[in-house]
Amino acid sequence: MKKKSIRKLTRIEGDGQVELIRENGIVTDARFVISEGVRLFEALLAGRSFHEVPDMVCRICSICSTVHKVAALEAVEEAFGCMVSRQSAILRELAVNGGVIESHALHLYFLALPDYLGVAGFQEMATTAPELLQRGARIKKCGNLIQEIAGGRAVHPFNLVIGGTGSSPRKDSLLSLEDELESVIEDATSAPEIFQAGNDRFPELPVFPFFAVKGESRLSGDTVGLSTGELMTAASFRSWLGESAQEGSCAKVCNFGNSGIFVTGPSARRGIENMLDETSSPRDLSDDRKSPRQTVSPYLFNLHRAIELQQSLDRALMLVRLLLEEGIHEEKALRLAPRKSEVTKVIEAPRGTLLHHYEFDRDGVCICADITTPTAMNQAAVGISLRKLVQGMAGAGYGEIRSGCERLVRCFDPCLSCAVH
Amino acid sequence: MKRERVAIAGLTGCSGCQLTLLDCEDELPLLLKNADFDYFPMASSGIALKGEYDAALVEGCLSTQEGLKLLRNLREKSRLLVAFGACAVSGGVTAIRNDVPREELSRIVYGGDAVPGGGFEPAPLASAVKVDFDITGCPPEKADILEFFAGLSAGVLPIPARTFVCADCRARENICLLAEKGELCLGVLTRGGCNARCPSMNVPCEGCRGVAEETNFAEAMAIFSANGFSADRISEKGGRFFREFLHEKKEYQKTDPD
Ligand code: SF4
Repeated sequence: MKKKSIRKLTRIEGDGQVELIRENGIVTDARFVISEGVRLFEALLAGRSFHEVPDMVCRICSICSTVHKVAALEAVEEAFGCMVSRQSAILRELAVNGGVIESHALHLYFLALPDYLGVAGFQEMATTAPELLQRGARIKKCGNLIQEIAGGRAVHPFNLVIGGTGSSPRKDSLLSLEDELESVIEDATSAPEIFQAGNDRFPELPVFPFFAVKGESRLSGDTVGLSTGELMTAASFRSWLGESAQEGSCAKVCNFGNSGIFVTGPSARRGIENMLDETSSPRDLSDDRKSPRQTVSPYLFNLHRAIELQQSLDRALMLVRLLLEEGIHEEKALRLAPRKSEVTKVIEAPRGTLLHHYEFDRDGVCICADITTPTAMNQAAVGISLRKLVQGMAGAGYGEIRSGCERLVRCFDPCLSCAVH
Repeated sequence: MKRERVAIAGLTGCSGCQLTLLDCEDELPLLLKNADFDYFPMASSGIALKGEYDAALVEGCLSTQEGLKLLRNLREKSRLLVAFGACAVSGGVTAIRNDVPREELSRIVYGGDAVPGGGFEPAPLASAVKVDFDITGCPPEKADILEFFAGLSAGVLPIPARTFVCADCRARENICLLAEKGELCLGVLTRGGCNARCPSMNVPCEGCRGVAEETNFAEAMAIFSANGFSADRISEKGGRFFREFLHEKKEYQKTDPD
């Protein structure tokens, strides 16, 4: 007899479940169900002026609010032919890195680490592993501080505005941020060791081809690189990135034509960077040995997230020093003159590639918005990974399989508010 | 000292209010000494609602049957039920098109006729249950959250700010973005207490803390139009956080590619 049991997922952003199918008491299959309520952002934006778009879309998700904001700002500015100042561009990149630091630190130290330590959550860690928790909190706080200095606030950063920035950071806050970053970089040195593959006790998991934005700043651009070696333009996204509603899930599921199921995220970014960057000095690929270069496995997601946490801290420090070196100027945000336009931006969010597409009429009214998020892109891969995990754990008890499934979903660091939006 | 039993729950929203609580990194150790976050699925594995809670902080708007069930359950079990953030207090930014049937909006996004998950119009918590206290803001100020917890241990509720954002601006000697720079700043309508966070960085207030007491909308409208803002522009921006600005029926366009 077939029986379904559904269990709410915890220690992730938003509302979702793992559904386990049991036949005669044996778990035979698992499904990832996204049940976050639909807010219909794309429909809400239709008919609103371009002024509304960035402030509205950052509300899709708090953890990723900075990157949603920046994607929308860049889209609106490109649509109306405006280039922000170098200082504003640096501040935005700094803010996006702050978002990555905050998001990765939250995921790794608050949401995932309890799996490695066998505790329920950060409350227990406060007594069983207080030093580790504090270290994570310091890193996360630094990510927030960056977003506050550049964006005015850690969640929904209002200082990033159309045409530039509301006001420029003060030199003394950048100087103290520099100090803070230097000490937090120390805190993060042990991150890859903590989140090494193998520490998370999984049987064999599937591997996936992958993709990430290929851009100058490593985080944003107009082109997506695939692990197959192909390059896709953002503007042609409808030809390579499909999205369709799926029975039982509140989030649309992405597909990649006939090319199979791809994943996006820190491992994908690392893979694309290593693949496309062959002219630069050889990198230390020792942690990649278990997985061939054309694919990534969920085994390594947390490890790569930890390595990327360090990279983002380094990058943030570099950008802060650059701002200090070049001197801070008071600047006025540029005013935009709307025109009929269609635009697509891709940017790397903490969880992977984020795509914003808009169409504006000649008065700058948004007539179409189409947003595709990393969690929607990864949704199919999560499903396949769960199925494979259940097969790999054949013979194990229900509780063990269930907790394995939950841990596996968490490796993808899904963001369900983003996925549904 | 008695530790307060607290539930932290999220309905439909961005998790930003729960995140702001988790962002109180410096204060978390002290908070954990005084409060036991016995139900907090975003941050901890337990998912059973057990026993009575001294307070339940509920984030997000009400927009699903599951959410309604959880909210009623939390209400029943909790001494204090707190609307945690703008969505919980007023429906939030996603309630701006409640004049249009959900099915119609959903068709634009998903194609089909059914709204996925059976979702309905985003509504404030108070539309379904008695709410004892509002923590406003999108997201709330950390100080407001901490003040609530301090009050909880002491057995009192904080007194909500009665001033306008304008008062905070004046206290900081900011130049007025509306009068002197001609920007659409909603500080004249908005409940203060954020220390004029946005105008202090030269960004107009969008009203995220919601409507202040004794607000005169007619007068504000007159000031905005005198500064050259069209009624549409005012209601668009005002509508993010003030239901008072929303049109009954507003035309909007379908998103068919051509
Ligand atoms: S100034 Fe206005 S928009 Fe900014 S935080 Fe305060 S109430 Fe919210």
